[in-house]
Amino acid sequence: MTNSLPNELRDTMRAAIRLEYWNLFWTATIVVVMGLVMGQSETMKTAWVEDTLGVVPPIMFLIAARMELTGKRSKRFPFGFERVNGLGFFVAAVALTAVGLLLLYNAATALVAAEHATVGSIVLFGHDLWLGWLMIAAQLYSLVPPMLIGRKELPLAEKLNDKLLHTDALMNKANWLTGAAGLAGIVGLGLGWWWADSVAAAIISIDVISDGVKALRSSTAELVDGSPRALSGPELSGDALALEERLRSEFPSATIRLRETGRLIRAEVHGVHPPCEPRHPRHYWPRGKERAWRLAQVSFVPPDQE
Amino acid sequence: MAFALPLLLSACEGLPRDPAGTLARVEKNHIFTVGLVAGAYESPAARRLLAEIAKRTRARPQVIHGPQEVLLEHLSQGRADLVIGSFSEASPWETEMAFGPALASQGAGKHAIELKAAMRNGENRWIMLVERASRAVSREASGQ
Repeated sequence: MTNSLPNELRDTMRAAIRLEYWNLFWTATIVVVMGLVMGQSETMKTAWVEDTLGVVPPIMFLIAARMELTGKRSKRFPFGFERVNGLGFFVAAVALTAVGLLLLYNAATALVAAEHATVGSIVLFGHDLWLGWLMIAAQLYSLVPPMLIGRKELPLAEKLNDKLLHTDALMNKANWLTGAAGLAGIVGLGLGWWWADSVAAAIISIDVISDGVKALRSSTAELVDGSPRALSGPELSGDALALEERLRSEFPSATIRLRETGRLIRAEVHGVHPPCEPRHPRHYWPRGKERAWRLAQVSFVPPDQE
Repeated sequence: MAFALPLLLSACEGLPRDPAGTLARVEKNHIFTVGLVAGAYESPAARRLLAEIAKRTRARPQVIHGPQEVLLEHLSQGRADLVIGSFSEASPWETEMAFGPALASQGAGKHAIELKAAMRNGENRWIMLVERASRAVSREASGQ
């Protein structure tokens, strides 16, 4: 039996898998470096948690990609594993939102209680050094890998129409923005502005929550058979709107229902008989042929018998 | 590069600053208030630490004595700049105060009792000075 990944996506998928292994490696180095110099700083804690959480989307992507690439259709799983990606997307979205809320709570309570973060000194090669300098160096290091990897992920996510990979690209963007806000927080703390640390942490956590809520809305829409959503947010997908228009132009009296299973779209055309000649679902794809693989099924439901 | 290096070093020296300006006040008024928990003053390491801080700040210590809880309350209210005493690692004050490296310790692990200085959280320049002074006067502290 075959598996559920369209053949034309296999090379791109393999490239995405390689990139995600690199992503995991570089994220792990950032987590270690940040963890070593974290101290009592709320900014550093928040950035560290966000960086650690950053491994969830690539891990979920790698699990889903492996199942899509190697998992065969079977009696127990007749549709293969095309929705594993959607499940991974949901798990990543829940994790992202929950941790964002927790971090915001921590930053807000630190601000309300007027907690003054202590960043002392350590001995390095026989010299006393303010730990803040190491935090700044760690934050600078943490900017580079997510900036480079996120830029490489976006075109692959678009080609695969992979929301999980796209979420990861957004998360990488959030991570380097976090690094920039974190830098400002640590410098502010060094300047004696005790609130700068918690304010930077709160800004970072609001960004995390925003990404999490967007991903949550989009992933739950898929799980409850909502209309296909755009790659980058909960708006309706342009591909799906064009497909609906294409089907309506040929079957004007029909009710068109579209849903998304992972990266694929399935269409139901209610209230009309199917055309006499057999057609492959890709026949109905309204845009360029290179993305026609997205339309996996077009079913017709005839009108009720009078 | 040769021009940038001194600028960079002076910028490095400028940070951190104290939100409540503890070190600047100590250096300006030439006095700092130290709470000594019972038994701490008999320790040679505590006396060496006070002398070292006095030397580094050109200020003299004004010593107050009392029970640990009262002195730490003075510290959190800003009525003392420093408290020296014996604290356990599991002390409930561990997150409320910034502790310097242990000057001397008895026992091991979580139950160890450590003689060390406590400072107000967030006064990072002052904390750094006390940490440096602690490392300078105690072999045990120099490794922390």
